[in-house]
Amino acid sequence: MLTAVVLLTLLALVFGVILGFAAEKFRVEGNPIVDQLEALLPQTQCGQCGFPGCRPYAEAIANGEKINRCPPGGTATMEKLADLMGVEPEPLSAEAQDQTKKVAFIREEECIGCTKCIQACPVDAIVGAGKLMHTVLTVNCTGCDLCVEPCPVDCIDMIPVAQNTRSWDWRLNAIPVKTL
Amino acid sequence: MNLIDIIEQNTLWPLTGGIHPAEMKHLSNQTTIARLPLAKTFYIPLPQVGDSALLVVKVGDRVLKGQPLTKSAGAMYLAAHAPTSGLITAITPHASNHPSALPELTCIIEADGKDESVPYHSAAAQELSKEELIARIREAGIAGMGGAMFPSHIKLRPAAKIELLIINGVECEPYISSDDRLMREHAANIVAGIEIIQQLIGARRIVIAIEDNKAEAAAAMTSAIAQSAALKPIALVRVIPTKYPSGGEKQLIQIITGKEVPSGSIPAQLGIVVHNVGTAYAIRDAVVEGKPLIERVVTVTGGNIEQNGNYWLPIGTPVSHVLQQLKLRKDKQAQVIVGGPMMGYALPDANVPVLKGTNCLLIPKRNELTHASAERACIRCGECAQVCPASLLPQQLYWHAKAEEYDKANAFNLQDCIECGCCAFVCPSEIPLVKYYRVAKAAIRKDRAEKVQAEQAKIRFEARIARLEQEKQEREAKAKEAAERRKAAMNNDDKDAVAAALARVQAKKQAQATTAPSNDAIAAAVARAKAKKQQAISATDTATDDKKSQVAAAIARAKAKKAQASASDTSAASASTLDTPAQDSKQAQIAAAVARAKAKKAAQTAPAQNNEVADKLATDGVEQINSTNDKAARVAAAVARAKAKKTAATESSVESAEAPSTDQKAQVAAPDDKAARVAAAVARAKAKKAAQTDEQAASETTLTEAPATQEKADEKQAKIAAAIAKAKAKKAVLSGSDDAEQTEAMSKQADDNSESSSVSAADAKKARIAAAVAKAKAKKAAEQDNQENQS
Repeated sequence: MLTAVVLLTLLALVFGVILGFAAEKFRVEGNPIVDQLEALLPQTQCGQCGFPGCRPYAEAIANGEKINRCPPGGTATMEKLADLMGVEPEPLSAEAQDQTKKVAFIREEECIGCTKCIQACPVDAIVGAGKLMHTVLTVNCTGCDLCVEPCPVDCIDMIPVAQNTRSWDWRLNAIPVKTL
Repeated sequence: MNLIDIIEQNTLWPLTGGIHPAEMKHLSNQTTIARLPLAKTFYIPLPQVGDSALLVVKVGDRVLKGQPLTKSAGAMYLAAHAPTSGLITAITPHASNHPSALPELTCIIEADGKDESVPYHSAAAQELSKEELIARIREAGIAGMGGAMFPSHIKLRPAAKIELLIINGVECEPYISSDDRLMREHAANIVAGIEIIQQLIGARRIVIAIEDNKAEAAAAMTSAIAQSAALKPIALVRVIPTKYPSGGEKQLIQIITGKEVPSGSIPAQLGIVVHNVGTAYAIRDAVVEGKPLIERVVTVTGGNIEQNGNYWLPIGTPVSHVLQQLKLRKDKQAQVIVGGPMMGYALPDANVPVLKGTNCLLIPKRNELTHASAERACIRCGECAQVCPASLLPQQLYWHAKAEEYDKANAFNLQDCIECGCCAFVCPSEIPLVKYYRVAKAAIRKDRAEKVQAEQAKIRFEARIARLEQEKQEREAKAKEAAERRKAAMNNDDKDAVAAALARVQAKKQAQATTAPSNDAIAAAVARAKAKKQQAISATDTATDDKKSQVAAAIARAKAKKAQASASDTSAASASTLDTPAQDSKQAQIAAAVARAKAKKAAQTAPAQNNEVADKLATDGVEQINSTNDKAARVAAAVARAKAKKTAATESSVESAEAPSTDQKAQVAAPDDKAARVAAAVARAKAKKAAQTDEQAASETTLTEAPATQEKADEKQAKIAAAIAKAKAKKAVLSGSDDAEQTEAMSKQADDNSESSSVSAADAKKARIAAAVAKAKAKKAAEQDNQENQS
């Protein structure tokens, strides 16, 4: 009887020490779900969710924010977020917008070189200097729209990315067929 | 077992899956390769221009046959050449030879019909080094002629050691016979090409694989090999059973060696390289004759064409021209399929060019090919899985592709699908399976590209945030440094500031002394404010402090009385003008400040232990003035300064007088307001009067004057003003101490007066303007000080 009690107490102590040590040694820094959520977000850094970037929104979702606030991600992203968070999918909060990818384009002859768009761009995709013409690096543009508003001369357009033979999606029905 | 042993064994492995569609090759393989008249217009697509290649021609240039149109140092560069001589009429996006026919940058050449060629530099392959061979092949723009259009020069410089070279003459797809005819007619040239490939990669064995439905081609190749000294010992022609899709690279490797190329890797990793017979022929042309790849054999066949056969077509020839020349049978349903019936695609637009990988143009009759009727539901028969040459599960892929569950489709190795179409061929429900796979593959590709872009965007965003943070910190550090510097400078000026405050106090007193009896109210207010202050102080302080506060109160009262008395002395005329600068409430505060300053003075004359409290009172008073009525205090300061200047001017030497006079000028010139000027004038007048009436003050001023002249103008003035203030205070204390009790009674009376007294809005405005002027002055002076201090 006594040996059993002593033995169990010892065992409890030993395991307690091991667990305590493991808890310290293998401590998880931060919330891993945030990284997973962030990986699902489109990284446009557009702020349309009401948070200043994708990471803050991912953190907010981890803390219970709604999952339907990401218009650039669209329904697909929302569903992935719902899946990851184990919540019901919800329709997107923002009004249904077309999901075609767009990039900013600066009408260069109208640009006055105010650098306001450069300051607004979250991914540094606009190059230019004060009183010199600016231009958008289309490869890096996320199409977040944030540069359009600050432009004092409204010389920035959001242009849909044209499909080419390499990015074609094989939707054969979309091709107009010419008869020979 | 190594590759060589496998080849020595002379065994063939069966192809997994595969089908036997109707061959239909007899339609086109009966005639020799012919030539068609040149087209009028040629379209040379330049997909790499703007990406990795540069144009070397421009619109309006006349180009000769074989002249390069682009240049690049890029590894994936595929050179483009003019197929005939003519004029470049445009370089513009034009419909591409692609299932989507999306426009692509195209060089449009208007042929002049002369077909003049640039001189080709022929060479003997054996005398050229590997680098020279590769360079010639690269410059000739040779691409895989089997359809993939992969730049050949990359495949000819493999990273791994190559054991086995397979020459692909299988041509398994129905209808197509271009390789068949090429082997029959140009076997020697193909073998010469193979020799060059062998020279480059040094394989230990060469297998030329030909399907058994091309017996003539196999015979031609065998005899050509037998005549080649270099290839005879190591090369052999292997005839394989006809089965679609044996001609696929990975499938052919499986048939010849029994080895499967692992998913996601290339044959070179197994020590195997596969080249098409057409490519070998083009390589020979490029190396031996120096002729770039500007034409190829194309099978033009199908029920809607009268002259089925193979034709040498210059690259860039419009498909519509071919159809015209070969008498297209008009058919409402006529369509052109590029490639064979299994893997080819229908062109939405016939005005597209023939490309380097275009091996067949199929123009079938309406019911020649089985047209997919309405797609029906998958019955899970499993036929597709049996025929799949890549050992995939087509129905599962279809299921997930249709549901757009692309990650699940990927889990079933969708990326290993070669899109051969066997599954769709056998499907009893006539489901266009390959179409689903292509859509899914495109979506997955797009998804991946987006992921990559998102990753890059994230990196860029984070880099930007880090940069902004760093900039902010740098800014803050700079601001802190500047603040410290300012603070250090301020500490030096502290004494001056105190002196200035005292001067202000003095100025107020002067102003009050000259104002009319209406200032009784002010005096009363001063006394009240004073009393209140004292109450507040006494509440917190100890009993001993009470005595001091009482003293201060008495002084204040005395001061008020004196103000009243002196006011009655001054002329009425001056009083009326002096009334304007100060506002009632303002004056009250000013007076309070004056009173407090006086109290301090009194405390200084009183026993030593009282000093502390008096100091406190004085600083309190100053603080109150600063916080509650900055404006008034500044006005007072300005007035005091003006006065001090005046005194200095009248009492001291000419050179010292010069600075204040210019200052005064500035004071007058800067504001265009009359009121301000009036105020300044009043101050000056008062200063003069003060100097005249108060000899003690004057003497003190001159005393301080001496060292002050060496210092900065403003500091000097401040000190002078301070001295005046001190003198005044002393005087006030002397005269005020007797009448303390009387003043108390008076202050009560004044209390009532203050309520009825009011000052017009205009007065207030003027006062404010004067204050603003004074402030500007003070600032200017301070800046000057700072600058001088720094210098």
